[in-house]
Amino acid sequence: MGEHAIEAVGLHRSYRSRTGWLRPQRREVHAVAGVDLAVRHGELFGLLGPNGAGKTTTIKLLNTLLIPTGGEARICGFDVVRQTREVRRRIGYVFGGDRGLYDRLSARDNLRYFAELYGVPGREQKRRIAELFALVRLTGREDDRVESYSRGMRQRLHIARGLLHRPRVLFLDEPSIGVDPVAARELRQTVAELAATGTTVLLTTHYMAEADELCGRIAVIAGGRLQALGTPAELRHHADGRRVLEVQAYGVTDGQLAAIRARPGVREVSLAVHGAAQLLGVQSDAGVDVQADVLRELSGVRLGRVTARQPTLEDAYVAIVNRAAEPTPLVGGVPA
Amino acid sequence: MSALFRLVGVGGVIAYRALFNWTTPSIFVGTLLVGPLFQLFFFAYLGREFGVADDRFYIVGNAVLTAALACVYGGTMAVANERRFGTLGHVLLSPRSRTAIFLGRVLPYAGNGLLIAASTLTVAALLLGLRIPATALPGLLLALAAASLTCGFFGLTLGALGLRFRDVFLISNVAVALLLLFTGVNVPADSLPAGIRAVGAVLPITHAADAARRLAGGATLGDALPAIGVELAVGVGYAVLAAGLLTVFEAESRRRASLDTL
Repeated sequence: MGEHAIEAVGLHRSYRSRTGWLRPQRREVHAVAGVDLAVRHGELFGLLGPNGAGKTTTIKLLNTLLIPTGGEARICGFDVVRQTREVRRRIGYVFGGDRGLYDRLSARDNLRYFAELYGVPGREQKRRIAELFALVRLTGREDDRVESYSRGMRQRLHIARGLLHRPRVLFLDEPSIGVDPVAARELRQTVAELAATGTTVLLTTHYMAEADELCGRIAVIAGGRLQALGTPAELRHHADGRRVLEVQAYGVTDGQLAAIRARPGVREVSLAVHGAAQLLGVQSDAGVDVQADVLRELSGVRLGRVTARQPTLEDAYVAIVNRAAEPTPLVGGVPA
Repeated sequence: MSALFRLVGVGGVIAYRALFNWTTPSIFVGTLLVGPLFQLFFFAYLGREFGVADDRFYIVGNAVLTAALACVYGGTMAVANERRFGTLGHVLLSPRSRTAIFLGRVLPYAGNGLLIAASTLTVAALLLGLRIPATALPGLLLALAAASLTCGFFGLTLGALGLRFRDVFLISNVAVALLLLFTGVNVPADSLPAGIRAVGAVLPITHAADAARRLAGGATLGDALPAIGVELAVGVGYAVLAAGLLTVFEAESRRRASLDTL
Protein backbone atom coordinates (compact mmCIF):
# COMPACT_ATOMS: atom_id res chain seq x y z
CA MET A 1 0.00 0.00 0.00
CA GLY A 2 1.37 3.39 -0.98
CA GLU A 3 1.71 6.36 1.27
CA HIS A 4 -1.27 8.11 -0.25
CA ALA A 5 -4.92 7.17 -0.34
CA ILE A 6 -5.62 9.67 -3.12
CA GLU A 7 -3.08 10.74 -5.71
CA ALA A 8 -3.66 12.91 -8.77
CA VAL A 9 -1.06 14.23 -11.15
CA GLY A 10 -1.89 16.80 -13.82
CA LEU A 11 -5.56 15.86 -13.74
CA HIS A 12 -7.46 17.41 -16.64
CA ARG A 13 -11.06 17.25 -17.72
CA SER A 14 -12.48 19.29 -20.56
CA TYR A 15 -15.97 19.28 -22.03
CA ARG A 16 -16.98 20.05 -25.56
CA SER A 17 -20.36 21.61 -26.09
CA ARG A 18 -22.21 22.62 -29.23
CA THR A 19 -24.95 25.20 -29.58
CA GLY A 20 -27.08 26.05 -32.61
CA TRP A 21 -27.99 23.97 -35.64
CA LEU A 22 -27.58 26.18 -38.67
CA ARG A 23 -24.35 27.75 -37.49
CA PRO A 24 -23.15 25.44 -34.77
CA GLN A 25 -20.71 26.93 -32.32
CA ARG A 26 -18.38 24.57 -30.53
CA ARG A 27 -16.88 25.43 -27.22
CA GLU A 28 -14.39 23.64 -25.06
CA VAL A 29 -14.56 24.18 -21.31
CA HIS A 30 -11.69 23.14 -19.07
CA ALA A 31 -13.49 22.15 -15.87
CA VAL A 32 -10.34 20.74 -14.30
CA ALA A 33 -7.07 22.02 -15.69
CA GLY A 34 -4.11 20.28 -14.15
CA VAL A 35 -4.87 19.36 -10.56
CA ASP A 36 -2.17 17.70 -8.43
CA LEU A 37 -3.30 16.14 -5.17
CA ALA A 38 -1.78 13.79 -2.62
CA VAL A 39 -3.97 12.85 0.34
CA ARG A 40 -2.50 10.59 3.00
CA HIS A 41 -4.29 7.57 4.45
CA GLY A 42 -6.59 8.61 7.29
CA GLU A 43 -6.40 12.30 6.41
CA LEU A 44 -9.45 14.55 6.41
CA PHE A 45 -8.80 16.76 3.42
CA GLY A 46 -10.90 19.74 2.36
CA LEU A 47 -11.45 20.90 -1.21
CA LEU A 48 -12.90 24.39 -1.30
CA GLY A 49 -13.90 26.57 -4.19
CA PRO A 50 -16.68 28.69 -5.62
CA ASN A 51 -19.49 27.25 -7.74
CA GLY A 52 -18.14 25.93 -11.03
CA ALA A 53 -14.57 25.82 -9.71
CA GLY A 54 -14.15 22.13 -10.56
CA LYS A 55 -14.69 20.51 -7.15
CA THR A 56 -17.41 18.06 -8.16
CA THR A 57 -15.71 17.28 -11.47
CA THR A 58 -12.50 16.51 -9.56
CA ILE A 59 -14.41 14.14 -7.28
CA LYS A 60 -16.12 12.45 -10.24
CA LEU A 61 -12.72 11.93 -11.85
CA LEU A 62 -11.40 10.40 -8.66
CA ASN A 63 -14.42 8.16 -8.05
CA THR A 64 -14.49 6.77 -11.63
CA LEU A 65 -17.71 8.43 -12.79
CA LEU A 66 -15.70 10.44 -15.33
CA ILE A 67 -12.58 9.67 -17.31
CA PRO A 68 -9.86 12.34 -17.25
CA THR A 69 -8.90 13.92 -20.57
CA GLY A 70 -5.37 14.27 -19.23
CA GLY A 71 -3.20 13.29 -16.30
CA GLU A 72 -3.80 10.37 -14.01
CA ALA A 73 -5.18 9.52 -10.60
CA ARG A 74 -4.95 6.60 -8.22
CA ILE A 75 -7.01 5.57 -5.22
CA CYS A 76 -5.15 3.37 -2.75
CA GLY A 77 -2.70 2.69 -5.57
CA PHE A 78 -5.35 1.68 -8.15
CA ASP A 79 -5.74 3.60 -11.38
CA VAL A 80 -9.15 5.26 -11.69
CA VAL A 81 -9.39 4.57 -15.43
CA ARG A 82 -8.04 1.05 -15.79
CA GLN A 83 -8.83 -0.49 -12.39
CA THR A 84 -12.31 0.86 -11.79
CA ARG A 85 -13.63 -2.22 -9.99
CA GLU A 86 -10.76 -2.15 -7.48
CA VAL A 87 -11.24 1.57 -6.96
CA ARG A 88 -15.00 1.23 -6.47
CA ARG A 89 -14.53 -1.43 -3.82
CA ARG A 90 -12.51 1.05 -1.80
CA ILE A 91 -14.51 4.24 -2.11
CA GLY A 92 -17.75 5.69 -0.82
CA TYR A 93 -19.46 8.72 -2.30
CA VAL A 94 -21.85 11.04 -0.52
CA PHE A 95 -23.27 14.20 -2.00
CA GLY A 96 -25.53 16.90 -0.67
CA GLY A 97 -29.14 17.49 -1.59
CA ASP A 98 -32.49 15.77 -1.45
CA ARG A 99 -31.93 13.26 -4.24
CA GLY A 100 -29.94 10.06 -4.46
CA LEU A 101 -32.21 7.79 -2.41
CA TYR A 102 -35.24 5.68 -3.28
CA ASP A 103 -38.05 7.71 -1.75
CA ARG A 104 -40.65 4.93 -1.80
CA LEU A 105 -38.46 2.55 0.17
CA SER A 106 -37.71 2.61 3.87
CA ALA A 107 -34.26 3.69 4.99
CA ARG A 108 -33.49 0.07 5.85
CA ASP A 109 -34.47 -1.16 2.38
CA ASN A 110 -32.37 1.58 0.79
CA LEU A 111 -29.36 0.33 2.72
CA ARG A 112 -30.21 -3.32 2.00
CA TYR A 113 -30.27 -2.62 -1.70
CA PHE A 114 -27.02 -0.69 -1.75
CA ALA A 115 -25.46 -3.37 0.44
CA GLU A 116 -26.19 -5.80 -2.38
CA LEU A 117 -24.84 -3.40 -4.98
CA TYR A 118 -21.65 -2.75 -3.03
CA GLY A 119 -21.01 -6.41 -2.28
CA VAL A 120 -21.62 -6.54 1.47
CA PRO A 121 -21.96 -10.27 2.27
CA GLY A 122 -25.52 -11.31 3.14
CA ARG A 123 -24.62 -12.63 6.59
CA GLU A 124 -23.04 -9.27 7.55
CA GLN A 125 -25.69 -6.96 6.19
CA LYS A 126 -28.06 -6.93 9.15
CA ARG A 127 -25.33 -6.15 11.68
CA ARG A 128 -23.62 -3.59 9.45
CA ILE A 129 -26.85 -1.75 8.71
CA ALA A 130 -27.73 -1.59 12.42
CA GLU A 131 -24.25 -0.24 13.19
CA LEU A 132 -24.62 2.47 10.58
CA PHE A 133 -28.07 3.53 11.76
CA ALA A 134 -26.52 3.99 15.20
CA LEU A 135 -23.54 5.89 13.77
CA VAL A 136 -25.70 8.38 11.87
CA ARG A 137 -28.26 8.61 14.67
CA LEU A 138 -31.22 7.21 12.75
CA THR A 139 -31.97 4.31 15.06
CA GLY A 140 -35.74 4.12 15.56
CA ARG A 141 -36.50 5.57 12.12
CA GLU A 142 -35.09 2.69 10.04
CA ASP A 143 -38.45 1.49 8.75
CA ASP A 144 -39.84 4.90 7.83
CA ARG A 145 -40.10 5.66 4.15
CA VAL A 146 -37.35 8.00 3.00
CA GLU A 147 -39.93 10.37 1.51
CA SER A 148 -40.88 11.27 5.09
CA TYR A 149 -37.29 12.15 6.05
CA SER A 150 -36.06 15.69 6.60
CA ARG A 151 -33.07 16.89 4.61
CA GLY A 152 -30.74 16.42 7.57
CA MET A 153 -31.93 12.82 8.01
CA ARG A 154 -31.45 12.17 4.31
CA GLN A 155 -27.94 13.51 4.53
CA ARG A 156 -27.14 11.18 7.39
CA LEU A 157 -28.65 8.29 5.45
CA HIS A 158 -26.45 9.26 2.48
CA ILE A 159 -23.44 8.94 4.76
CA ALA A 160 -24.61 5.56 6.04
CA ARG A 161 -25.02 4.37 2.45
CA GLY A 162 -21.54 5.63 1.58
CA LEU A 163 -20.05 3.63 4.46
CA LEU A 164 -21.86 0.31 3.93
CA HIS A 165 -18.89 -1.52 2.45
CA ARG A 166 -16.35 0.04 4.84
CA PRO A 167 -14.65 2.17 2.18
CA ARG A 168 -11.08 3.23 2.77
CA VAL A 169 -11.74 6.56 1.05
CA LEU A 170 -14.92 8.57 1.44
CA PHE A 171 -15.80 11.45 -0.88
CA LEU A 172 -18.17 13.93 0.75
CA ASP A 173 -19.41 16.43 -1.82
CA GLU A 174 -21.04 19.34 0.01
CA PRO A 175 -22.79 17.07 2.51
CA SER A 176 -24.10 19.92 4.66
CA ILE A 177 -25.65 21.96 1.87
CA GLY A 178 -29.12 23.14 2.79
CA VAL A 179 -29.29 21.51 6.22
CA ASP A 180 -30.13 23.46 9.35
CA PRO A 181 -27.37 24.41 11.83
CA VAL A 182 -28.22 21.64 14.29
CA ALA A 183 -28.23 18.97 11.60
CA ALA A 184 -25.02 20.43 10.15
CA ARG A 185 -23.34 20.17 13.54
CA GLU A 186 -24.42 16.54 13.84
CA LEU A 187 -23.06 15.87 10.38
CA ARG A 188 -19.72 17.42 11.30
CA GLN A 189 -19.63 15.24 14.39
CA THR A 190 -20.28 12.15 12.28
CA VAL A 191 -17.56 13.11 9.80
CA ALA A 192 -15.07 13.75 12.60
CA GLU A 193 -15.86 10.34 14.09
CA LEU A 194 -15.26 8.73 10.71
CA ALA A 195 -11.88 10.34 10.30
CA ALA A 196 -11.00 9.17 13.81
CA THR A 197 -11.56 5.57 12.68
CA GLY A 198 -8.93 5.94 9.96
CA THR A 199 -11.17 6.52 6.95
CA THR A 200 -9.65 8.94 4.47
CA VAL A 201 -12.15 11.70 3.79
CA LEU A 202 -12.13 14.18 0.94
CA LEU A 203 -14.66 16.87 1.81
CA THR A 204 -15.92 19.64 -0.42
CA THR A 205 -17.86 22.44 1.20
CA HIS A 206 -18.75 26.10 0.90
CA TYR A 207 -18.69 26.57 4.66
CA MET A 208 -15.33 27.81 5.90
CA ALA A 209 -16.13 27.09 9.52
CA GLU A 210 -16.84 23.49 8.62
CA ALA A 211 -13.56 23.13 6.73
CA ASP A 212 -11.66 24.93 9.50
CA GLU A 213 -13.12 22.67 12.19
CA LEU A 214 -12.74 19.37 10.38
CA CYS A 215 -9.92 19.42 7.86
CA GLY A 216 -6.25 18.83 8.52
CA ARG A 217 -5.38 20.33 5.15
CA ILE A 218 -7.36 22.33 2.65
CA ALA A 219 -6.92 22.91 -1.06
CA VAL A 220 -8.61 25.87 -2.71
CA ILE A 221 -9.63 25.28 -6.31
CA ALA A 222 -10.80 27.93 -8.74
CA GLY A 223 -10.91 27.97 -12.51
CA GLY A 224 -10.14 24.25 -12.51
CA ARG A 225 -6.73 24.74 -10.85
CA LEU A 226 -5.50 24.45 -7.30
CA GLN A 227 -4.81 27.97 -6.10
CA ALA A 228 -3.60 27.21 -2.60
CA LEU A 229 -2.93 24.23 -0.39
CA GLY A 230 -2.13 23.99 3.29
CA THR A 231 -3.43 23.70 6.81
CA PRO A 232 -6.19 26.15 7.79
CA ALA A 233 -3.57 28.17 9.72
CA GLU A 234 -1.31 28.30 6.69
CA LEU A 235 -4.12 29.40 4.41
CA ARG A 236 -4.96 32.27 6.75
CA HIS A 237 -1.59 33.79 5.83
CA HIS A 238 -3.10 34.69 2.46
CA ALA A 239 -4.91 37.44 4.33
CA ASP A 240 -1.92 38.53 6.42
CA GLY A 241 -1.36 42.24 6.65
CA ARG A 242 -5.01 43.00 6.05
CA ARG A 243 -8.01 44.17 7.96
CA VAL A 244 -11.65 43.62 7.15
CA LEU A 245 -14.51 46.08 7.19
CA GLU A 246 -18.02 44.65 7.12
CA VAL A 247 -21.02 46.80 6.29
CA GLN A 248 -24.62 45.67 6.39
CA ALA A 249 -26.41 47.53 3.62
CA TYR A 250 -29.61 47.61 1.57
CA GLY A 251 -29.24 48.42 -2.14
CA VAL A 252 -25.53 48.62 -2.97
CA THR A 253 -25.09 48.98 -6.76
CA ASP A 254 -22.43 47.51 -9.04
CA GLY A 255 -21.13 51.03 -9.68
CA GLN A 256 -20.61 51.63 -5.98
CA LEU A 257 -18.80 48.31 -5.66
CA ALA A 258 -16.48 49.26 -8.50
CA ALA A 259 -15.79 52.64 -6.89
CA ILE A 260 -14.96 51.02 -3.53
CA ARG A 261 -12.73 48.51 -5.28
CA ALA A 262 -10.81 51.38 -6.85
CA ARG A 263 -10.08 53.15 -3.55
CA PRO A 264 -6.41 53.20 -2.48
CA GLY A 265 -5.55 50.37 -0.05
CA VAL A 266 -8.59 48.23 -0.90
CA ARG A 267 -7.53 44.67 -1.77
CA GLU A 268 -10.76 42.64 -2.01
CA VAL A 269 -14.44 43.46 -2.09
CA SER A 270 -17.20 40.91 -1.69
CA LEU A 271 -20.97 41.22 -1.46
CA ALA A 272 -23.18 38.52 0.04
CA VAL A 273 -26.97 38.63 0.22
CA HIS A 274 -28.74 37.56 3.39
CA GLY A 275 -32.50 37.91 2.94
CA ALA A 276 -33.24 41.56 2.23
CA ALA A 277 -29.84 42.71 3.49
CA GLN A 278 -26.47 42.75 1.78
CA LEU A 279 -23.22 42.15 3.60
CA LEU A 280 -20.40 44.12 2.05
CA GLY A 281 -16.91 42.87 2.95
CA VAL A 282 -13.93 45.10 2.21
CA GLN A 283 -10.42 43.79 2.78
CA SER A 284 -7.77 46.46 2.91
CA ASP A 285 -4.12 46.83 3.81
CA ALA A 286 -3.78 46.79 7.58
CA GLY A 287 -2.15 50.23 7.64
CA VAL A 288 -4.92 51.94 5.67
CA ASP A 289 -8.23 52.92 7.21
CA VAL A 290 -10.75 52.74 4.37
CA GLN A 291 -13.89 53.04 6.48
CA ALA A 292 -14.49 56.72 5.77
CA ASP A 293 -13.95 56.23 2.02
CA VAL A 294 -16.28 53.23 1.90
CA LEU A 295 -19.06 54.99 3.79
CA ARG A 296 -18.68 58.00 1.50
CA GLU A 297 -19.11 55.80 -1.58
CA LEU A 298 -22.23 54.32 0.03
CA SER A 299 -23.89 57.65 0.62
CA GLY A 300 -27.61 57.37 -0.11
CA VAL A 301 -27.65 53.64 0.69
CA ARG A 302 -29.45 52.54 3.85
CA LEU A 303 -26.85 51.06 6.16
CA GLY A 304 -26.98 48.78 9.18
CA ARG A 305 -24.15 47.48 11.34
CA VAL A 306 -20.56 48.50 10.47
CA THR A 307 -17.72 46.49 12.01
CA ALA A 308 -13.96 46.16 11.59
CA ARG A 309 -12.21 42.90 12.45
CA GLN A 310 -9.16 40.69 11.86
CA PRO A 311 -9.21 38.41 8.79
CA THR A 312 -10.56 34.85 9.08
CA LEU A 313 -10.08 31.75 6.97
CA GLU A 314 -13.04 32.89 4.92
CA ASP A 315 -11.31 36.19 4.15
CA ALA A 316 -8.21 34.28 3.10
CA TYR A 317 -10.40 32.12 0.88
CA VAL A 318 -12.01 35.19 -0.71
CA ALA A 319 -8.55 36.66 -1.31
CA ILE A 320 -7.33 33.45 -2.95
CA VAL A 321 -10.41 33.04 -5.13
CA ASN A 322 -10.48 36.70 -6.21
CA ARG A 323 -6.81 36.57 -7.12
CA ALA A 324 -7.52 33.47 -9.21
CA ALA A 325 -10.21 35.39 -11.08
CA GLU A 326 -7.77 38.14 -12.06
CA PRO A 327 -6.35 38.04 -15.60
CA THR A 328 -3.02 36.57 -14.43
CA PRO A 329 -3.93 33.69 -12.15
CA LEU A 330 -2.02 32.99 -9.00
CA VAL A 331 0.17 29.93 -9.30
CA GLY A 332 1.26 27.86 -6.32
CA GLY A 333 0.27 29.24 -2.96
CA VAL A 334 1.29 28.38 0.53
CA PRO A 335 3.15 25.07 0.40
CA ALA A 336 1.84 22.10 2.36
CA MET B 1 -22.45 -17.77 -6.44
CA SER B 2 -24.95 -17.16 -3.63
CA ALA B 3 -23.92 -13.49 -3.67
CA LEU B 4 -24.82 -13.37 -7.35
CA PHE B 5 -28.21 -14.97 -6.68
CA ARG B 6 -28.80 -12.45 -3.89
CA LEU B 7 -27.97 -9.59 -6.21
CA VAL B 8 -30.31 -10.92 -8.90
CA GLY B 9 -33.08 -12.12 -6.58
CA VAL B 10 -33.14 -9.87 -3.50
CA GLY B 11 -31.71 -6.90 -5.40
CA GLY B 12 -34.20 -7.34 -8.23
CA VAL B 13 -37.21 -7.39 -5.90
CA ILE B 14 -36.07 -4.34 -3.90
CA ALA B 15 -35.35 -2.47 -7.13
CA TYR B 16 -38.85 -3.38 -8.37
CA ARG B 17 -40.39 -1.84 -5.25
CA ALA B 18 -38.15 1.20 -5.55
CA LEU B 19 -38.56 1.94 -9.23
CA PHE B 20 -41.91 0.61 -10.49
CA ASN B 21 -44.45 3.42 -10.54
CA TRP B 22 -47.58 1.27 -10.47
CA THR B 23 -47.20 -0.72 -7.26
CA THR B 24 -50.01 0.86 -5.28
CA PRO B 25 -53.12 -1.41 -5.38
CA SER B 26 -55.45 1.11 -7.02
CA ILE B 27 -53.01 1.98 -9.80
CA PHE B 28 -51.99 -1.64 -10.25
CA VAL B 29 -55.58 -2.85 -10.61
CA GLY B 30 -56.75 0.10 -12.72
CA THR B 31 -53.79 0.38 -15.06
CA LEU B 32 -52.63 -3.19 -15.38
CA LEU B 33 -55.74 -5.32 -14.86
CA VAL B 34 -58.94 -3.44 -15.65
CA GLY B 35 -57.71 -1.22 -18.51
CA PRO B 36 -56.20 -4.04 -20.59
CA LEU B 37 -59.29 -6.19 -19.96
CA PHE B 38 -61.52 -3.57 -21.57
CA GLN B 39 -59.08 -3.28 -24.45
CA LEU B 40 -59.46 -7.04 -24.92
CA PHE B 41 -63.27 -6.74 -24.86
CA PHE B 42 -63.11 -3.94 -27.42
CA PHE B 43 -61.14 -6.00 -29.92
CA ALA B 44 -63.18 -9.17 -29.24
CA TYR B 45 -66.47 -7.38 -29.97
CA LEU B 46 -64.93 -5.64 -32.97
CA GLY B 47 -63.85 -9.07 -34.24
CA ARG B 48 -67.33 -10.46 -33.74
CA GLU B 49 -68.82 -7.50 -35.61
CA PHE B 50 -66.58 -7.77 -38.65
CA GLY B 51 -66.02 -11.51 -38.56
CA VAL B 52 -62.32 -11.27 -39.31
CA ALA B 53 -61.43 -13.95 -36.79
CA ASP B 54 -63.03 -15.89 -33.95
CA ASP B 55 -63.11 -15.09 -30.23
CA ARG B 56 -60.12 -17.33 -29.50
CA PHE B 57 -57.93 -15.25 -31.82
CA TYR B 58 -58.73 -11.99 -30.05
CA ILE B 59 -59.04 -13.20 -26.46
CA VAL B 60 -55.84 -15.23 -26.39
CA GLY B 61 -53.84 -12.76 -28.48
CA ASN B 62 -54.86 -9.76 -26.38
CA ALA B 63 -54.36 -11.66 -23.13
CA VAL B 64 -50.76 -12.35 -24.13
CA LEU B 65 -50.39 -8.69 -25.08
CA THR B 66 -51.45 -7.53 -21.60
CA ALA B 67 -48.09 -8.76 -20.31
CA ALA B 68 -46.44 -6.08 -22.45
CA LEU B 69 -47.77 -3.10 -20.52
CA ALA B 70 -46.25 -4.07 -17.17
CA CYS B 71 -43.10 -5.58 -18.64
CA VAL B 72 -42.18 -3.00 -21.27
CA TYR B 73 -42.85 0.00 -19.03
CA GLY B 74 -41.40 -1.83 -16.03
CA GLY B 75 -38.20 -2.68 -17.87
CA THR B 76 -37.94 0.94 -18.96
CA MET B 77 -38.56 2.22 -15.43
CA ALA B 78 -35.91 -0.19 -14.11
CA VAL B 79 -33.26 2.03 -15.69
CA ALA B 80 -34.88 5.35 -16.52
CA ASN B 81 -36.32 5.98 -13.04
CA GLU B 82 -32.81 5.94 -11.59
CA ARG B 83 -32.46 9.37 -13.17
CA ARG B 84 -35.68 10.52 -11.54
CA PHE B 85 -34.42 9.60 -8.06
CA GLY B 86 -30.84 10.75 -8.73
CA THR B 87 -29.56 7.29 -7.82
CA LEU B 88 -27.97 6.35 -11.13
CA GLY B 89 -24.51 7.50 -10.09
CA HIS B 90 -24.61 5.35 -6.98
CA VAL B 91 -25.68 2.33 -9.03
CA LEU B 92 -22.91 2.96 -11.54
CA LEU B 93 -20.40 3.18 -8.70
CA SER B 94 -21.19 -0.41 -7.75
CA PRO B 95 -18.29 -2.80 -8.32
CA ARG B 96 -20.78 -5.61 -9.13
CA SER B 97 -21.68 -6.92 -12.58
CA ARG B 98 -23.95 -4.56 -14.48
CA THR B 99 -25.49 -7.53 -16.31
CA ALA B 100 -26.51 -9.14 -13.00
CA ILE B 101 -27.82 -5.87 -11.56
CA PHE B 102 -29.98 -4.91 -14.52
CA LEU B 103 -31.02 -8.29 -15.88
CA GLY B 104 -32.03 -9.28 -12.34
CA ARG B 105 -34.39 -6.33 -12.30
CA VAL B 106 -36.38 -7.83 -15.18
CA LEU B 107 -37.46 -10.94 -13.28
CA PRO B 108 -40.05 -9.29 -10.97
CA TYR B 109 -41.54 -7.48 -13.97
CA ALA B 110 -41.76 -10.75 -15.88
CA GLY B 111 -43.55 -12.33 -12.89
CA ASN B 112 -45.87 -9.36 -12.85
CA GLY B 113 -46.59 -9.72 -16.57
CA LEU B 114 -47.32 -13.43 -16.17
CA LEU B 115 -49.77 -12.74 -13.35
CA ILE B 116 -51.55 -10.05 -15.36
CA ALA B 117 -51.73 -12.05 -18.59
CA ALA B 118 -52.95 -15.20 -16.80
CA SER B 119 -55.64 -13.36 -14.85
CA THR B 120 -56.77 -11.42 -17.94
CA LEU B 121 -57.06 -14.64 -19.96
CA THR B 122 -59.00 -16.33 -17.14
CA VAL B 123 -61.48 -13.48 -16.65
CA ALA B 124 -61.95 -12.86 -20.37
CA ALA B 125 -62.46 -16.55 -21.13
CA LEU B 126 -65.08 -16.83 -18.35
CA LEU B 127 -66.95 -13.67 -19.36
CA LEU B 128 -66.87 -14.24 -23.12
CA GLY B 129 -67.44 -17.98 -22.94
CA LEU B 130 -64.18 -19.22 -24.43
CA ARG B 131 -63.48 -22.87 -23.57
CA ILE B 132 -59.85 -23.78 -23.11
CA PRO B 133 -58.91 -27.45 -22.66
CA ALA B 134 -57.39 -28.15 -19.23
CA THR B 135 -54.50 -29.96 -20.91
CA ALA B 136 -53.51 -26.70 -22.58
CA LEU B 137 -52.97 -24.85 -19.30
CA PRO B 138 -49.32 -25.78 -18.60
CA GLY B 139 -48.36 -24.88 -22.15
CA LEU B 140 -50.32 -21.63 -21.97
CA LEU B 141 -48.52 -20.69 -18.76
CA LEU B 142 -45.21 -21.41 -20.45
CA ALA B 143 -46.14 -19.26 -23.45
CA LEU B 144 -47.27 -16.39 -21.20
CA ALA B 145 -44.08 -16.67 -19.14
CA ALA B 146 -41.96 -16.57 -22.30
CA ALA B 147 -43.87 -13.52 -23.55
CA SER B 148 -43.47 -11.75 -20.19
CA LEU B 149 -39.74 -12.42 -19.98
CA THR B 150 -39.18 -11.29 -23.56
CA CYS B 151 -41.22 -8.14 -22.98
CA GLY B 152 -39.17 -7.42 -19.85
CA PHE B 153 -35.89 -7.66 -21.76
CA PHE B 154 -37.40 -5.57 -24.55
CA GLY B 155 -38.34 -2.94 -21.94
CA LEU B 156 -34.85 -3.09 -20.46
CA THR B 157 -33.44 -2.41 -23.92
CA LEU B 158 -35.61 0.69 -24.13
CA GLY B 159 -34.58 1.60 -20.57
CA ALA B 160 -30.92 1.31 -21.59
CA LEU B 161 -31.64 3.99 -24.19
CA GLY B 162 -32.58 6.11 -21.18
CA LEU B 163 -28.88 6.30 -20.34
CA ARG B 164 -28.41 8.16 -23.61
CA PHE B 165 -31.75 9.89 -24.25
CA ARG B 166 -33.66 11.74 -21.58
CA ASP B 167 -37.26 11.23 -22.78
CA VAL B 168 -37.14 7.47 -23.13
CA PHE B 169 -40.77 6.99 -22.06
CA LEU B 170 -41.76 8.53 -25.39
CA ILE B 171 -40.07 5.56 -27.04
CA SER B 172 -41.85 3.15 -24.69
CA ASN B 173 -45.22 4.72 -25.50
CA VAL B 174 -44.63 4.26 -29.21
CA ALA B 175 -43.24 0.74 -28.72
CA VAL B 176 -46.30 -0.45 -26.77
CA ALA B 177 -48.59 1.00 -29.45
CA LEU B 178 -46.58 -0.71 -32.18
CA LEU B 179 -46.87 -4.07 -30.43
CA LEU B 180 -50.64 -3.78 -30.84
CA LEU B 181 -50.29 -3.87 -34.62
CA PHE B 182 -46.94 -5.48 -35.45
CA THR B 183 -47.34 -8.62 -33.34
CA GLY B 184 -50.50 -9.71 -35.10
CA VAL B 185 -52.59 -10.00 -31.95
CA ASN B 186 -55.47 -8.03 -33.48
CA VAL B 187 -54.85 -8.39 -37.20
CA PRO B 188 -54.05 -11.82 -38.60
CA ALA B 189 -50.39 -11.90 -39.59
CA ASP B 190 -51.30 -13.10 -43.11
CA SER B 191 -53.18 -9.84 -43.68
CA LEU B 192 -50.24 -7.65 -42.66
CA PRO B 193 -47.72 -6.26 -45.18
CA ALA B 194 -44.50 -8.27 -45.42
CA GLY B 195 -42.43 -5.46 -43.86
CA ILE B 196 -44.61 -5.32 -40.76
CA ARG B 197 -44.58 -9.11 -40.50
CA ALA B 198 -40.78 -9.09 -40.67
CA VAL B 199 -40.52 -6.52 -37.87
CA GLY B 200 -43.15 -8.38 -35.86
CA ALA B 201 -41.08 -11.55 -36.06
CA VAL B 202 -38.35 -9.94 -33.92
CA LEU B 203 -40.72 -8.28 -31.46
CA PRO B 204 -41.92 -9.81 -28.21
CA ILE B 205 -45.45 -11.31 -28.07
CA THR B 206 -45.67 -12.38 -31.75
CA HIS B 207 -44.51 -15.98 -31.34
CA ALA B 208 -45.92 -16.45 -27.83
CA ALA B 209 -49.36 -15.33 -29.04
CA ASP B 210 -49.13 -17.78 -31.92
CA ALA B 211 -48.20 -20.60 -29.54
CA ALA B 212 -50.94 -19.67 -27.07
CA ARG B 213 -53.61 -19.65 -29.77
CA ARG B 214 -52.55 -23.06 -30.98
CA LEU B 215 -52.62 -24.45 -27.44
CA ALA B 216 -56.05 -22.93 -26.75
CA GLY B 217 -57.23 -24.53 -29.99
CA GLY B 218 -56.27 -27.99 -28.82
CA ALA B 219 -52.69 -28.35 -30.11
CA THR B 220 -50.22 -30.27 -27.99
CA LEU B 221 -47.34 -28.68 -26.14
CA GLY B 222 -44.99 -30.28 -28.64
CA ASP B 223 -46.75 -28.40 -31.45
CA ALA B 224 -46.40 -25.10 -29.63
CA LEU B 225 -42.87 -25.50 -28.31
CA PRO B 226 -41.08 -24.28 -31.47
CA ALA B 227 -42.96 -20.97 -31.34
CA ILE B 228 -42.29 -20.65 -27.59
CA GLY B 229 -38.62 -21.38 -28.28
CA VAL B 230 -38.48 -18.62 -30.90
CA GLU B 231 -40.15 -16.22 -28.45
CA LEU B 232 -37.50 -17.04 -25.84
CA ALA B 233 -34.75 -16.65 -28.45
CA VAL B 234 -36.09 -13.17 -29.22
CA GLY B 235 -35.99 -12.47 -25.46
CA VAL B 236 -32.37 -13.63 -25.19
CA GLY B 237 -31.56 -11.37 -28.14
CA TYR B 238 -33.02 -8.36 -26.33
CA ALA B 239 -31.22 -9.32 -23.10
CA VAL B 240 -27.90 -9.36 -24.96
CA LEU B 241 -28.76 -6.10 -26.71
CA ALA B 242 -29.74 -4.46 -23.39
CA ALA B 243 -26.51 -5.60 -21.71
CA GLY B 244 -24.50 -4.30 -24.67
CA LEU B 245 -26.26 -0.94 -24.71
CA LEU B 246 -25.86 -0.52 -20.94
CA THR B 247 -22.14 -1.23 -21.24
CA VAL B 248 -21.66 1.10 -24.20
CA PHE B 249 -23.70 3.96 -22.76
CA GLU B 250 -22.03 3.70 -19.35
CA ALA B 251 -18.60 3.83 -20.96
CA GLU B 252 -19.72 6.74 -23.11
CA SER B 253 -21.07 8.60 -20.10
CA ARG B 254 -17.66 8.38 -18.42
CA ARG B 255 -15.84 9.47 -21.53
CA ARG B 256 -18.15 12.23 -22.77
CA ALA B 257 -19.83 13.20 -19.50
CA SER B 258 -23.06 12.63 -21.40
CA LEU B 259 -24.97 11.39 -18.38
CA ASP B 260 -26.29 13.63 -15.66
CA THR B 261 -25.60 10.93 -13.12
CA LEU B 262 -26.11 12.85 -9.92
